[in-house]
Amino acid sequence: MIDTLVQDLRYAVRTLAKSPGFTTVAVLTLALGIGANAGVFSLMYQVLLRPLPVPQPDRLVNLAAPGPIPGSQSCGIAGDCGALFSYPMFRDLEREQTVLTGLAAHRDLGASVSAPDAAPFTGEGLYVSGSYFPILGVRAALGRLLAPSDDRDISTGFVTVLSWDTWQTHFGADTAVVGRELRVNGQALTVVGVAPRGFEGTTLGISPLLYVPISMRGRLDPGFHGFENRRNYWIYVFGRLKPGVSLAQASADLNAVYHPIIGDVEAPLQNGMSDQTMIQFKAKRVVLTAGARGQSREHTDGRTPVLLLFAVTGIVLLIACANIANLLLTRGAGRAMEMAVRLALGASRRRLVGQLLTESLLLAALGGAASLVVAGWTLSAVASLLPAEATGGLQFTLDAAVLGFTAAVALGTGLVFGLFPAWHSTRTVVMTAVRASAGQVSGARSAARFRDSLVTGQIALATALLAVAGLFVKSMANVSRVELGMDVDNVVTFAISPERAGYDTTRTRALYDRVETALAALPGATAVTSSLVPLLAGDNWGNDVWIPGFPTGPDVDRSARYNEVGAGYFAALGVPLLAGREFTLADRRGAPRVAVVNRAFTRKFGLARSAVGSFLSFQGPDSINVRIVGIVPDVKYSQVKDTVPPVFYLPWRQSSHVPFLYLYVRTARPQGALREIPMALKGIDPGLPVEELRTMPEQIRESVFLDRMIGLLSTAFAALATLLAAVGLYGVLAYSVAQRTREIGLRIALGADGPRVRRFVLRQVSGMLAIGGAIGIAGALGLGRAARSLLFGLTGDDPLVLALALLVLALVALGAAYVPARRATRVDPMIALRTE
Amino acid sequence: MSGAGCQVPAATGDGPEALVPGARPLAPDTWNPTPMISLSNIEKSFPQADGRLFVLRRISLDVAAGDFVTIMGPSGAGKSTLLAVLGMLDGDWTGEYRLLEHAVHKMKHKDRIALGKQYVGFVFQQYHLIDDLTVAENLAMPLSYRDVKPDDREAAVADTLDRFGMVAKKNLYPRQLSGGQQQLVAVARAVIHRPALLLADEPTGNLHSSQGKDIMALFRELNAAGTTIVQVTHSEDNAKYGKRVIQLRDGWVVN
Repeated sequence: MIDTLVQDLRYAVRTLAKSPGFTTVAVLTLALGIGANAGVFSLMYQVLLRPLPVPQPDRLVNLAAPGPIPGSQSCGIAGDCGALFSYPMFRDLEREQTVLTGLAAHRDLGASVSAPDAAPFTGEGLYVSGSYFPILGVRAALGRLLAPSDDRDISTGFVTVLSWDTWQTHFGADTAVVGRELRVNGQALTVVGVAPRGFEGTTLGISPLLYVPISMRGRLDPGFHGFENRRNYWIYVFGRLKPGVSLAQASADLNAVYHPIIGDVEAPLQNGMSDQTMIQFKAKRVVLTAGARGQSREHTDGRTPVLLLFAVTGIVLLIACANIANLLLTRGAGRAMEMAVRLALGASRRRLVGQLLTESLLLAALGGAASLVVAGWTLSAVASLLPAEATGGLQFTLDAAVLGFTAAVALGTGLVFGLFPAWHSTRTVVMTAVRASAGQVSGARSAARFRDSLVTGQIALATALLAVAGLFVKSMANVSRVELGMDVDNVVTFAISPERAGYDTTRTRALYDRVETALAALPGATAVTSSLVPLLAGDNWGNDVWIPGFPTGPDVDRSARYNEVGAGYFAALGVPLLAGREFTLADRRGAPRVAVVNRAFTRKFGLARSAVGSFLSFQGPDSINVRIVGIVPDVKYSQVKDTVPPVFYLPWRQSSHVPFLYLYVRTARPQGALREIPMALKGIDPGLPVEELRTMPEQIRESVFLDRMIGLLSTAFAALATLLAAVGLYGVLAYSVAQRTREIGLRIALGADGPRVRRFVLRQVSGMLAIGGAIGIAGALGLGRAARSLLFGLTGDDPLVLALALLVLALVALGAAYVPARRATRVDPMIALRTE
Repeated sequence: MSGAGCQVPAATGDGPEALVPGARPLAPDTWNPTPMISLSNIEKSFPQADGRLFVLRRISLDVAAGDFVTIMGPSGAGKSTLLAVLGMLDGDWTGEYRLLEHAVHKMKHKDRIALGKQYVGFVFQQYHLIDDLTVAENLAMPLSYRDVKPDDREAAVADTLDRFGMVAKKNLYPRQLSGGQQQLVAVARAVIHRPALLLADEPTGNLHSSQGKDIMALFRELNAAGTTIVQVTHSEDNAKYGKRVIQLRDGWVVN
């Protein structure tokens, strides 16, 4: 068998080398098809499949408790609000449960880090319980990891563990880092160890700079007081099943612990809760789910777009396979004689099929190797379309999983496109083939039908992809036309977090004034303002509101979004006032409390246009003392595509605690401002990092990155698919014309003119186009339905888009058919009829 | 083509030595009076709209071991079809066909193919060498399809190259050879596995007359060494190399 394989391989190399044109086209086609798949697979693997790099990740479980969560909640990237627990509940469960080796808690942390002899840096870290690392089972690369003794008591664990990347990048992999003191958000912490290489926490989307005991949140986040409040939901929890314990057993045991706490301890704390809500609250259960991949919203949010892209690239690969199969069938027809001779010399059909499959697999292997380059390009393209915040924990390199996938796909495609041509090419009646001089191959009709079916299939797939790409392009266009309600084309934004850098409240306020003054002095600056909640960054800050005359029952929806903004906010952002005035520098602490509301707010709370002068409260019904001084139009708040919610604006200068601020500079020179702002801040405080510096148009582009990414990638893949389908159609028609030269010559000799001959050829195209187009449209409708959650402003069956897709493909098909049709009209009947 | 250097071993009492496992060495027909090939009422036809078109009609003939038979007749007489039936390349016929002790008409397709592999070599009019294989590799191909081990294969190829005076050409490709040389290689390929029966379909049809003579002389030598040969030809001169002639016309044996 090895001997046969070596022979076949040697012959395959020689055969492919003898046809460089065919080999190049086939390898390139495969490289494009397999490479695009491999690139998207890398993304899909990381987002949907990759387990945590810890021992036995399948024994990890995530906890959630969906249901009413009265009080305050702050969801993060690790999951939705239903997955949050309060600190006291976490400790209760940790203490009482018996079916898990332990429970771990974590929460993301905005960190500003400074150290002697190291440049300050900012990013995200993780608050983790002392049980976090022991439950995961990871070992320190240097020193030790956090342990239960580090968070036994609140605010006493002055230690931190660096991530491997932080240690490499910011501390030069210095082994003497253990024992060094850092300042994290102004708090001195001692480095006790470095996490292992390749471990990036348990939340996809966050690459933690460092890990801090969760009990230290009060120290690093001034103003936080959530350790004893059972109505403050802010931490995520996971655990590890004990050996022999199933998910069901663990769930039953945990709920046996959970229910009494809910019923006896937490239910009595829910003042003002309606009876119906109380029933739901008491019926809450702890839900356990598989935790092998950690906890992250990106697993669910990324599912549909990633799977869609994978399906699209899969379709491109199918079209590529169809092209190669057609090429091989054509070559097979030309090798009929060789096959007949081999059969006559004693080869079995199985042997010949094996020989031809070896050639196909060799082609596939070459294509697979070349595809790694295309996979790299695909990953680079995806990386360029993702904002920095969405890439935490993602790698855009080719790892073992991708290489394995590429090899498997290459093998599979080799079999897919090689099997039928191999089987068909060996279906030869020997004596007919060796004596026939006209080259007519037995079974030619079945081969022709198969070729036409392949091209029809390619047309169908390309039509579906074109239609889907059209839907996403239209969706992207709809998003770009969304009225933001403000003019931010020449606005630059950035953030500063003074409290993390050690500033107290007084110094922080003085700093903000100095910064605004410095920004106003920048060349070209025409307006400066600020806000606590960044614009169009996905942030949502909400609170209940009390307004005289508005119902106040327990189940009444009184929520509204809010923002704390600087003086001249609306004018700086190009938002006109509908009534009243906007905030000035006089609206500061000690002055009467004021607010500005948007139109959605007035509609929700039943305030007429004369809302100016009305009062509201966000601190309970007993202090309705905030006067509405202005009304503004509905301005986009968190996401471009979301409906504008009811929003009330407060002047941040009247707030007691402003730990960080987002600043906005309207300028005639946005690019210049991007260079000058860091210099201006350095002149005020060199140790204060400038965060998230960008223009507002960039900010908006990043906020719709998913739409852009899917629109651009699906268009690129659809274009590739259409090109491949056109090449396939051209090949089939060219071969068909060559095979029917005699017939065409005869028709011309009998009086057929050019148009008739062209129609004769194009009739073949029209059949494939009609059937392929119809199937493609059906496929597009299915894909559109699956992707409707990603579309904006249109449904998945937009008739204009579908019609355009069909039209584009028809034009491309006719273009591909033009040359063969023209060649047919130029057949010389005398030559053709003499030709055998 | 140079005819010199084609050394075919003289006939011995033992007949050609079997190279392929399972192949039986044959004795001259003086030791084995039963015909090697026996056809009885062989017929082949194709369905047509108004009945059937017969290509072979009630063919009955015997070929003795060591015989050199020429089949002649006009175009469309069924000569090549008869050759294909003899060589197991065509299984769609009726009647009885015995090859040695094997009742071919009773065998399944797979068994017929195996039988043909064991006993038959074929020479085509158009040489039909594989263009992408060297002379040596073309010779090795039939042995490879008969699962001959690589070492034995190499030895057999070397021996055959030597016998046919082609050692210097072993690494050349067919396109680098003349027509006569190519046909020589084709004949060598057909006999490398020492078949008991050699079938040749117009073996000199694409050659010059002098090249054709050399090939026919080679056939005579092979026959003298014990190989049974059945050839199809239009050439009376070629027919003279054989021991007897069978005439076909419209599918019938007419002599």
